[in-house]
Amino acid sequence: MKIISKRESREKCAESGWFAYDYLLDGKIDRDFILGLKPLGGLVYLDMLRQPFFKVESDYFMLKGIQGNDYFRAAVHGKHEELLTAVEDFVNRL
Amino acid sequence: MIYFNNAATSYPKPEQVTEAVQACIRNMPASQFRGGAQIGQEDIEDKCKQALGKLLGISAFSRIFFTSGATESLNSVLCGLELEGDILVTQTEHNSVLRPLLNQQKLKKTSMKVIPCTGEGEITPDALNKSLSLSAKALVINHCSNVTGKVQDMEMISSFARDHGLLFIADVSQSAGCLPVDADAWGADALIFTGHKSLLGIQGTGGFYIRPGLDLIPLKFGGTGTNSAKLVYGPSEYEYEPGTQNLPGITGLLAGVQFIEAVGIEKIAEKERRLMRMLYEGLARIPGLQLYGTAKTCQGPVMSLNFPGLSPSDAAYILWSSYGIVVRAGLHCSPLIHEAMGTAGSGTVRISVSYFSTDEEVRAFLDAAAEIMASLSPAVSQ
Repeated sequence: MKIISKRESREKCAESGWFAYDYLLDGKIDRDFILGLKPLGGLVYLDMLRQPFFKVESDYFMLKGIQGNDYFRAAVHGKHEELLTAVEDFVNRL
Repeated sequence: MIYFNNAATSYPKPEQVTEAVQACIRNMPASQFRGGAQIGQEDIEDKCKQALGKLLGISAFSRIFFTSGATESLNSVLCGLELEGDILVTQTEHNSVLRPLLNQQKLKKTSMKVIPCTGEGEITPDALNKSLSLSAKALVINHCSNVTGKVQDMEMISSFARDHGLLFIADVSQSAGCLPVDADAWGADALIFTGHKSLLGIQGTGGFYIRPGLDLIPLKFGGTGTNSAKLVYGPSEYEYEPGTQNLPGITGLLAGVQFIEAVGIEKIAEKERRLMRMLYEGLARIPGLQLYGTAKTCQGPVMSLNFPGLSPSDAAYILWSSYGIVVRAGLHCSPLIHEAMGTAGSGTVRISVSYFSTDEEVRAFLDAAAEIMASLSPAVSQ
């Protein structure tokens, strides 16, 4: 999977104190992609939902999205924005 | 798409509002008393003030002044009163009250004192009495909480303010247009409203009412189209609407208020109460869901809830991404009430309906909420 674009989230209020970005992928998120994110942090995967939701959390960043969509959101604590580069590299290798 | 974020801004607007704004832009501009081009035309601003006066119980409707919204109105009124001493605010207030009081240089001689509320946002007589201080000068009260939908007992609170010689400043941003408001009966010294919520106007509209005999020192000075040679104002000569007014916005606001008048405020309130009852009763049947209030105790068109195990922002993300339901997550710009609710960390999921919301939309939301709750128990968490 490859990230094809990234933009700052318009919903700043929703991720209070964090900088949030929406990433567009070149394909749809599937179960394997979600489970592949586990090395990045604690994974919450609500696979009983009509469209399963996932969230990966570490101390300074968080990813979340919906299985079947071609985009996900990443939020990073203001002082650790550089961590997103490593996250982007990880996602691009999945 | 289901839009349950009407407490932020109402959607959809009545068709009349869209048409009125379009017509205003299309037609030759009537530029505030300059050049005589308005002769024979209606004065939309006066007409809108008259309609607002009727809806909000303001007989001295010429004392309504337009602004860009409730935030500008609150800054104008709070700073303009030149107060010294304690200003009592309730724990339910919005940041548009709290932040001016804590940051405006013009309010350096005041001290903000918070009247605690219950977990549902109610201000009780006991809390009022305990918060009173000798140097209290004014009381700011949010008529309807934008977090829980709690509607305050304005008669009791205004009577308290009157009995203790406090200026009574009522913020009806969340109630104007969907609940009865009666500024004269409350004896309000000032009333704050926004145009883009239940008044069904567009963003960038709103205003304040200041009772006859009470003057403000304006926050803004500029051209008003009247007596342009006068450069310095004397006491009681101030003007509160400098600069070219937002006529498309005011025209849309008038159309919104006329729509409300045609439908009837009681009919609007009853429909929204019925939808809220459906929500409260349906959500109460979902095991584990956390509700903050009941249909009986919170009668505004807005409510808060949480899905234990999910942050409010995650829940809102799922509701939008999987079900196409727009809600709002977080503190809703009213941070203090969350201390009373026990939700100070990440806030709540807020649901807010409008006159245009439907039973089908409520049922779809209830189904989505039930599905989300059911999915939480077997969640994979590593």
